[in-house]
Amino acid sequence: MGKFIDFLEKRVSNPMARLAEQRHLLAVRDGVVSSLPFIIVGSFFLIIAFPPLPESWGITQWATENADQILIPYRMTMFIMSLYVAFGIGYNLAQSYKVDPLSGGQIAVASLLLTITPSVVEELGFVLPMQYLGGSGLFVTIIVSILSVEIFRICKQRNITIRLPEAVPASVSRSFEALIPVAIVIMLMTLITIIMGVNLHALVEKLTVPLVTAGDSLFGVLVPVFLITFFWSFGIHGVSVVGSVARPLWETYLLKNGEAVASGASELPHIAPEPLYQWFIWIGGSGATLGLVIVMLIFARSKYLKSLGRTVAVPSIFNINEPVIFGLPIVLNPILVIPFIITPIITAVIAYLATSVGLVSPTFIKAPWTLPAPIGAYLATGGDWRSIILVLVNLAISVVIYLPFLRIYDKKMLAMEQNEEQ
Amino acid sequence: MTKVLFVCSGGMSSAIVVNTLKKEAEKHGQALEVKAIGSSEVAAELENNWDVVMVAPQIKHRFDNIKKEADAHGVPCGPIPPQAYTPLGGPTLLKTLQELVK
Repeated sequence: MGKFIDFLEKRVSNPMARLAEQRHLLAVRDGVVSSLPFIIVGSFFLIIAFPPLPESWGITQWATENADQILIPYRMTMFIMSLYVAFGIGYNLAQSYKVDPLSGGQIAVASLLLTITPSVVEELGFVLPMQYLGGSGLFVTIIVSILSVEIFRICKQRNITIRLPEAVPASVSRSFEALIPVAIVIMLMTLITIIMGVNLHALVEKLTVPLVTAGDSLFGVLVPVFLITFFWSFGIHGVSVVGSVARPLWETYLLKNGEAVASGASELPHIAPEPLYQWFIWIGGSGATLGLVIVMLIFARSKYLKSLGRTVAVPSIFNINEPVIFGLPIVLNPILVIPFIITPIITAVIAYLATSVGLVSPTFIKAPWTLPAPIGAYLATGGDWRSIILVLVNLAISVVIYLPFLRIYDKKMLAMEQNEEQ
Repeated sequence: MTKVLFVCSGGMSSAIVVNTLKKEAEKHGQALEVKAIGSSEVAAELENNWDVVMVAPQIKHRFDNIKKEADAHGVPCGPIPPQAYTPLGGPTLLKTLQELVK
């Protein structure tokens, strides 16, 4: 057993964790994460425009009549997410290369905008179509942001820049240093989009269809669920590793669902935005450990597990479960790792099936992850009361799965405590 | 007053551990200033004269990078033992801290 764990840790877990530390993946992750406040705030305007209240109420009718105005903050945040993400990726990647991060962010934004052709509308003048600045633009955003910062970085490192005398203030000379790389990036993007007439967005969309479809399938949900608890079994923050690869997909689903709601569609296109994981699968944190904490509070007889249960109960309600994972510990604990991996797989299957057959609405709102699960689930589904039932069902299932394993572990702890007292 | 910088993934879970450490230190009459941050803030935060950096176990795959940053600023830096990363881990936490500052 020890050898097998050693093997897994050395050959599987460590290399994958290191991959997630790769510079570009890290920049993409941090870039997307930096846009989360805008996604969270923007998505709440979707709730205001489509309140989870009876249709006959005055406030619902007012919201429906004024939906276009109410949705403007949504359109300027979540709806054009890619613009914020481009800046975030450019900034973070430039920073990791120790070149001017501000210029990095700006160059990335310019590249993204140059993938879109403005059109002329009478009375309005030039109009920039927003279609590709939302969820569908995320992949192109990642590609052009990385590409343009790489050009910037190479120019800087090879000294292909304009140097001003040292007497010139730093902020002025910094912006001149970016002059040549900016010119190269802009000419390149102009060449692609305008002279060659390539629509990068349409091209990339075609190429990523299989990926987007696969990530939204049941299998596409179970793979990250398994990997995240697998990493945690070794004490590695699973979401931070797996999320750096999967997050662009998760955000695409969320934004597409939000766009569908805003345009009044009756069916949402995607099942698996991150809130599906957050509220229905990981109740209480990765591994669905709130169920484990409940079991501990009610059934534990050993002193250690009893007092641990009491101290971790409140953080667990708010989905902070590192004290549970390291405290029990679950990490490298052959008894508890089993339900820790199995439980979320089962809750994931149930959540996925319930959503795909329409028993619960797909999620389209990003609520802060520290909310208690029933509240978060209710908000994330735009006020579907059935989501609360799904949370409670999955919680009950997690209690049932954790119970026998915790009992075994509790007996062991109890025996140890009695030995020590003797 | 020892200034301790706690690093975890997002700065949330370590807030709990921070309180545990502070309470334990108080018991021994030691005053601590402890701040919990996410791993992406380390580079910027190190400018602010910390005495020691403690890294949470769940980001051990990022430890080497954080250690490099800390070394560059001449600040001692070490991992928090996994067993100590709980509300009950006070004694181990304080011991780890004292060994790092020495």
